[in-house]
Amino acid sequence: MLEEEKVAFFLASRLITRGNKGTLFLTIMIIAMVFVNLIFLPSIIAGIVVLFNQQSIDYSYGNLVIEPREDQLLITNVKELQQKINRIPGVVASTPRYSGAATIISKGKSTTPVLVAINPNDEKQVLKIHTGIVSGDYLNDADTGQILIGTTLAGNKDQKVDRTPTLGGVEVGKSVDVTFRNGVTRQYRIKGIVASGQFSVDGSAFITRKELESVLGTTDTANQILVKTKTTGNEDAMRVTLMQYGIQEKIWTWQDKSADFLKSIVGSFEIINVISTIVSLVIAVVVIFIVIFINTVYRRKQIGILQAIGIDRSIIIKSYIFQALFIFVSGTVAGLALLFVLLQYLTASPLVFPGGPVGPVLDPLLLVRAIVSLFVVSLIAGFLPSWLTTREDILSAIRG
Amino acid sequence: MIIGTNLAKIYGRGSVEVRALDGVDIRIQKGEFVGITGASGSGKSTLLHLLGLLDSPTTGSLVIDDVEVATLTERERTLFRLNRLGYVFQDYALVPELTAEENIYLPSKVRGMTAKECTRACRDILGLVGLRDRVGFLPGEMSGGEQQRVAIARALINNPAIILADEPCANLDTRNSTIILELIRKLNQELRQTVVMVSHEEWHQKYFDRVIVMKDGKILPEGERI
Repeated sequence: MLEEEKVAFFLASRLITRGNKGTLFLTIMIIAMVFVNLIFLPSIIAGIVVLFNQQSIDYSYGNLVIEPREDQLLITNVKELQQKINRIPGVVASTPRYSGAATIISKGKSTTPVLVAINPNDEKQVLKIHTGIVSGDYLNDADTGQILIGTTLAGNKDQKVDRTPTLGGVEVGKSVDVTFRNGVTRQYRIKGIVASGQFSVDGSAFITRKELESVLGTTDTANQILVKTKTTGNEDAMRVTLMQYGIQEKIWTWQDKSADFLKSIVGSFEIINVISTIVSLVIAVVVIFIVIFINTVYRRKQIGILQAIGIDRSIIIKSYIFQALFIFVSGTVAGLALLFVLLQYLTASPLVFPGGPVGPVLDPLLLVRAIVSLFVVSLIAGFLPSWLTTREDILSAIRG
Repeated sequence: MIIGTNLAKIYGRGSVEVRALDGVDIRIQKGEFVGITGASGSGKSTLLHLLGLLDSPTTGSLVIDDVEVATLTERERTLFRLNRLGYVFQDYALVPELTAEENIYLPSKVRGMTAKECTRACRDILGLVGLRDRVGFLPGEMSGGEQQRVAIARALINNPAIILADEPCANLDTRNSTIILELIRKLNQELRQTVVMVSHEEWHQKYFDRVIVMKDGKILPEGERI
């Protein structure tokens, strides 16, 4: 270490260890809180985004969504296409769907949700809707005359608490009338109620494809095939693979399908995040600056005397920078400890959001950004006040 | 040797101009113990500040040990103060968070002395000022007289050619003032260091080799009193 830095470090260490412990502790804790604030909200937002992404994959789209070719309304020869897709390396399973609007009536209450026709067993391989049954049972491939209702669509007996049109609190075992777009009306027994936290599931109703084909008089058609791949995150590459294997239908990734929804949510959270980060950093700057500034003003006379006995101003400035860095390091370590406790707690008891439980997701880059930001702020806050004070005329400083 | 020629220090401008020093010529021989005295506002502290390189003259020349100090850069002045001057302040001016020993060896650390060398030099000097048993004491744990002796020890640590003392006994009682004055006198005689001390106490003058009397920013001719 250079001589100047040695002396500056010596001075700083003595001022820290023999200075006011209460003020030092308070300052360190404020920096720790600022550090936690810099990390906490973004990690919760990251958790929410991860939740929404996972919900989209698990309950709405799988990894890839195959839709009819450009000039067609339906996918035909679904069975053959599904077998072809399932043989492609990297594909775990696929499930065909037929979605459309239908009017459902229960005891005079009518609503028109999305009715999705599925192969229940295929769905189990791709999505997790079957895990969300809160009452009754999931569908079987052979089921006819049975319907699965989303919890939001089922609604409550007291309809004042429902925010969307519902069936007024229908229960498993009760019957509902479903009118299809071709005018056919059939009665279905409610086999199960599903709650997933995802409106596209909880606001919909599900019957088997076999049942729908008997109503519409179609065979082996679908308007979507959802595909689950072995790994999440390489959807673009898998899309190319599917095309290389001769899939001529339109192929979307789950990100494409949920882009608008996620973009608006993530965008809103990003704004909150940026504001919170700026506020936290400003607080950090102000706090460190005020503490160092008060410290240097309080020691103005002492700084003048140090200069008078031949201590170069650069040594004095460095000693204050060392003090600020000590506060930064201690504050960051204390902040990391606080954050660790907070993250452990929230991982064990996640926050409950409409889409499901949200745990914090700590991005290492975020951690680095917070540490670097506080480091820069500490350097400035340590440098500026001491630089200003040592620039002053020695005699004026000595006179206080 | 200190040679000041036509030294002037003027504060303010125009109608509010104050001549704190007004064409002072001063010559102090190596090893002299010189007292500067005068009424409040006579310019004695201003003169000491110029000699201590804490301030610069508005006009005039100041040569200390053959160096024209007015032409030195800020950094050179700091180094000059560190290596050639020892300054003792009226209110001791110790760093409250440093022990007596640390306060004393701070200037020598800046000069690059090792911790061992610093400690040895420091203990020797503490012995010289009679405070060997106060090594680990903080300033707040010592009396005013003891603090001033630590301040003197700090001024001596780098073995400067010149000691400048600005009313070092102003905050002390007669007994402690006597201890300090006898100590400075002893150091001056034993170490042959030039001492320039500002004092307004008449009874201090018996310790000085020579007394410079100031009035209205000028040095009065020798023998003349205020």
